[in-house]
Order: sequence, then structure tokens, then C-alpha cells
Amino acid sequence: MRTLKLTGQVVALAAVAGMLALLVWKLTHQSHAPKIGGPAPVFTAKRMDGAGTVDLASLRGKPVVINFWASWCEPCKSEAAALEQAWQQYRRQGVVFLGIDYHDVTGDARTFLSHHGVTYTTLLDGSGAIGDRYGLTGVPETFFVNRQGRVVGAHILGPITLAKWAGAFKQGVQAALHS
Amino acid sequence: MILRFAAVALAALALAGPAAAACAQPRTSLTYLEGQIMCPTCHTTLDQSDSAVALRIEAQIRKRIAECWTADQIEAELVGNFGAGVLAAPTHKGFDLLAWWLPLGGIMLAAVLLALGVWRWSRRHDDGAPPADPGLDPDTERRLDELLARLD
Repeated sequence: MRTLKLTGQVVALAAVAGMLALLVWKLTHQSHAPKIGGPAPVFTAKRMDGAGTVDLASLRGKPVVINFWASWCEPCKSEAAALEQAWQQYRRQGVVFLGIDYHDVTGDARTFLSHHGVTYTTLLDGSGAIGDRYGLTGVPETFFVNRQGRVVGAHILGPITLAKWAGAFKQGVQAALHS
Repeated sequence: MILRFAAVALAALALAGPAAAACAQPRTSLTYLEGQIMCPTCHTTLDQSDSAVALRIEAQIRKRIAECWTADQIEAELVGNFGAGVLAAPTHKGFDLLAWWLPLGGIMLAAVLLALGVWRWSRRHDDGAPPADPGLDPDTERRLDELLARLD
């Protein structure tokens, strides 16, 4: 009887400890947007055009603009042309634009790209794993990464065409280029 | 009039015929799949979500159903697109099997422990029954007899 009681107590304690460990793990692994000045979360993702993968770490030494978007996102439609225009403007200075298609139906995304004439590299993030690393709260969101792989400028939470973000976008690209 | 009606009926048959006859197996339903697939941004099943991405996934499922895809094929495509997290229930293979068997194992273990506990408790209860009446010791019996005799 005593052994049984002891076993029961050990099992109950182990269960409680397990639950506690899960809670702690969940609390410590909640995604947050990367700090400005901190290292940009690295990732490897498939290209939308099927031509292999892109590893952010391999872009070290180049300024990078990372834009999270989805075909089902209305504000993404409004900023698509502006982003393409910015890409055409800054590509000569060596800036890399990465569009990351977040939680999207790939067929819809391809239609979106073709419809909006997007030509910069687009990567797939159907599972949302990259978005989670960047602590996304929605789409569109834009980050700037400098040549040292650090997040710089502002974290843009909305379409870059909005008046309040237009200046921040330009400053972000400049910070990525010159910091 | 009859000719016009016949032409309309023929046109309707021509349009509906191929779609209805194309599937070699019974079509799966959107209602079924809506309960099996999660909305990736809102973390509920599609039937409980009106978010933009849920509506797009539903449209994709509708399209695949019209193309005679089976439920398994549609689920496989969505898993390829959104990852395994898009399925409302874990698969029945590999590590995911644990998700099915662990709760069952837990329930069975709890039942066994409960039964064992009840059995041990009932046994202890039997052991702890009061002993048979041993009667009075001779001294007390003598004193009681004296007392009763005095009362007589």
C-alpha cells in the first residue's frame, strides 16, 4: 500500500513538473520582433520560382529589405507596386529585396506576383516559421538588415505607402546601406 | 418554344455533364474538410473562421473538390503548402502516433491505479474488522455476579 501511495505521489509530482516545464518553455519561447540593432533572425527558405533556397546568412555583406506579405492581405496589394519601384531604384546600390509569402496558398501568391509585376526574390513561408521568428503581428511588415546582419531602421507595421511609413521606409533602406 | 427549351436543356447538359461524370470516386465535401483543416493565422478550424486566409483556403479546397481531388490529396497539398500544423488532428504515423496513444495510455494507467487502490483499500478494510467478542475476564464476571446477587 505504501509503495502504491509513493508511486502515485511520484507520478503526480512528475505530471505537475512536466506541466510547469511546458508553461516555462512556452513563456520563454514566445516570438518577439527582433530588436533594432540586434542580429536579424536567420532563415533558409524555398524560392517561389522553385529555383532552390535562399539563406539569409549568405547575404551577409549586403543590405537587405525583408517584406512579409500574403496574397489574401489587402494592404499588401496597395504596397506591391511601391515595393517593386523601390527595388528597381535601390538594386543598383546592391540592396537585396526579399518578399516572404506568409501563410499563403502558393497558387494565389504566384497570381499576385504576376498581377502586380513583382520581380524581386520571393520566398515561401507557408508554415509561418520565419514570420514567427520575426514576431509578426500581421502582414504586411517590413524589416531592414544591414551588411553586418543586424536589424536597423524602423520595423514597419503596415503598408509602406501609408504616409506615416513612407519616410521610415526610405530611412530604413539608408540605414541598411550605410550603417 | 419547344426548340428553344430543347436547346437550353442540351446546353445545360453539355455544361453539367462533364463535371458530374468526371470523378471516378465520390467527391469529398467542403464541410468535412472545413473541420479537418486549421486556419493558420487564427488557430481554429476553417469552419470557425472568417479570416481572409481561411476564406482563401476554402476557395482552394472548393477548386480541388471540383477537380475531383480526394480528401487525402487535398490535405497533402495543404500540408505541403502550410506545414503539418494545418491539420486539425495529428496523422496516424511516426511521432504523431504518440498524440493518439498517450491519452489512451494515460486513461488506462489511471484506471489500473484506481482499481488497484480500491482493491487495496477494501482489503485493508476487511483486515481492520473488529475482533469477535472475547467475553468478560473471570474477575469482572465474578464481581458482576456478586453485584447481581446483592440486587436479588
